Amino acid sequence: MATFELYRRSTIGMCLTETLDEMVQNGTLSPELAIQVLVQFDKSMTEALETQVKSKVSIKGHLHTYRFCDNVWTFILQNALFKNEDSQETVGRVKIVACDSKLLTQ
Amino acid sequence: MAASTTSQVYIDVIEDVMVKVRDEFVNNAGPGEEVLRELQAMWESKMMQAGAVFGPIERSTAAKPTPGGPITPVHDLNVPYEGTEEYETPTAEILFPPTPLQTPIQTPLPGTADNSTYNIPAGPSDYSSGNDTGGNADGKGGRPSPFMQPPSPWMNPRPPLDVNVAYVEGRDEPDRGTSNQPLTQDFFTMPSGKRKRNDLNSQYNAGGYIPQQDGARDAAYGVFEIEQDICISFVNGGEISINSNSTISKGKMQVDLERSTSRIPQLDGPIPYDDDVLSTPNVSSDTSEKRRKLECKIPANYSCIYFSVNCIMLHLTLPPPTIFYFPSSYWVYFILLQIYNYGEVFTEDYNISNTPAPPEVPASTPALVAQNEVGNEFDDDDDEPPLNEEDDDDLDDMEQGEDQNTHHLVLAQFDKVTRTKSRWKCTLKDGIMHINNKDILFNKVCYS
Repeated sequence: MATFELYRRSTIGMCLTETLDEMVQNGTLSPELAIQVLVQFDKSMTEALETQVKSKVSIKGHLHTYRFCDNVWTFILQNALFKNEDSQETVGRVKIVACDSKLLTQ
Repeated sequence: MAASTTSQVYIDVIEDVMVKVRDEFVNNAGPGEEVLRELQAMWESKMMQAGAVFGPIERSTAAKPTPGGPITPVHDLNVPYEGTEEYETPTAEILFPPTPLQTPIQTPLPGTADNSTYNIPAGPSDYSSGNDTGGNADGKGGRPSPFMQPPSPWMNPRPPLDVNVAYVEGRDEPDRGTSNQPLTQDFFTMPSGKRKRNDLNSQYNAGGYIPQQDGARDAAYGVFEIEQDICISFVNGGEISINSNSTISKGKMQVDLERSTSRIPQLDGPIPYDDDVLSTPNVSSDTSEKRRKLECKIPANYSCIYFSVNCIMLHLTLPPPTIFYFPSSYWVYFILLQIYNYGEVFTEDYNISNTPAPPEVPASTPALVAQNEVGNEFDDDDDEPPLNEEDDDDLDDMEQGEDQNTHHLVLAQFDKVTRTKSRWKCTLKDGIMHINNKDILFNKVCYS
């Protein structure tokens, strides 16, 4: 199963990465095992998003920057309005990083 | 998704990872299940600290996180806490005891002196507050004690040693110290000096404040009182009228001071004083409104260093116009005096200062720098500590700005991205949004 390392930059991914770094530095964990944990996290996170998350969000804002490189879209929106079922929030500047979903299915 | 569900998804992901990685830990000579539990505990604790996972995690493993908890919290908490703590307490303590005394003393250079002075201000905030309260209420006697007391704990032990050194150095290097000291004394003391030795000594002795009987300290001391509006006999004794100082408007005080200054130069006043006197009157006239202003207006001839020192003093409640009168070369000495005042340690300075060393020219350059700084400080109205605070605030703002830039992040997969002229439409799925410190998971997003 192909996975993205994309989600490692999320809160949960960063927390895991920090934890693994500490444990590797302490010598309690081997770097190889830490990488295995990260790969498993990629899989589990992707799977969880596919299976457990059903919410929808709409975003509108001024597109300040767009970039498509290596099959990764990067957008920077300004004054973006986020709407979901329950609430909406405005953000002055938000970065959106999106990988090609087709790569996972191939 | 609601935050609660996001939290639950995170918990499920953690659990899923733990389950699927377990074999790697337990088998193949892995580190063992204990390490796996530690990993989970740390991970979960970090998530809770980040606010991404709420409260008790409903699992068998959830209980374990506690060990990890302490570790993670330390990291997260440290950053914010350190900022505040270091700023407030450490600055005051550290700056006061070691830097002010030592630095000025050791390094005769104006630059160092400035630093020391600035450092001192952190402490001064406390003083200023004390001054405000104390000045209004009590007469001469009451105020000095409050001032002295706060600094005394720090200053007392150190001051004697530092002061001695400082004085000596100041004299030796610039030669200014000697000549300057008399000048300073004269200006301040003219009113103060005469009084000090006579009246002040008795008073101080009684009060215990005055160890510094020599001119410089006395002058500084008198200045303190004036700012505070407290009347010291010493001050009164001088040509400057106590009444103005203690009682009414600052403007009057200044005027009086001007007079005194003009007079003073004549008395003590060694040659350089004449210049000082001239300058001072101007200053005084300009600044008649506020003492602080007077200081700012101090002529270029005077070293900025003084001002910086003075400013600090002012904040400390030592804003006397007399400070302005002092030549730049004196600045080091002056600082020391201030320290003494704060510390209540007024021992030998005077003798040293009195020791005649007429040189003094060099102060001019440092003075310029100091003036700029001084002006700002005066504008702040005795809020020198704010200077440091402002710096911190700036840093905080910067950090916040960075956080804002980096914090809002959407990680997702795109299904389709289309553009029609300037209008973009994108369809994303399986994403994690971190917006306004909240994590939002979504299955589908359309944005334009």
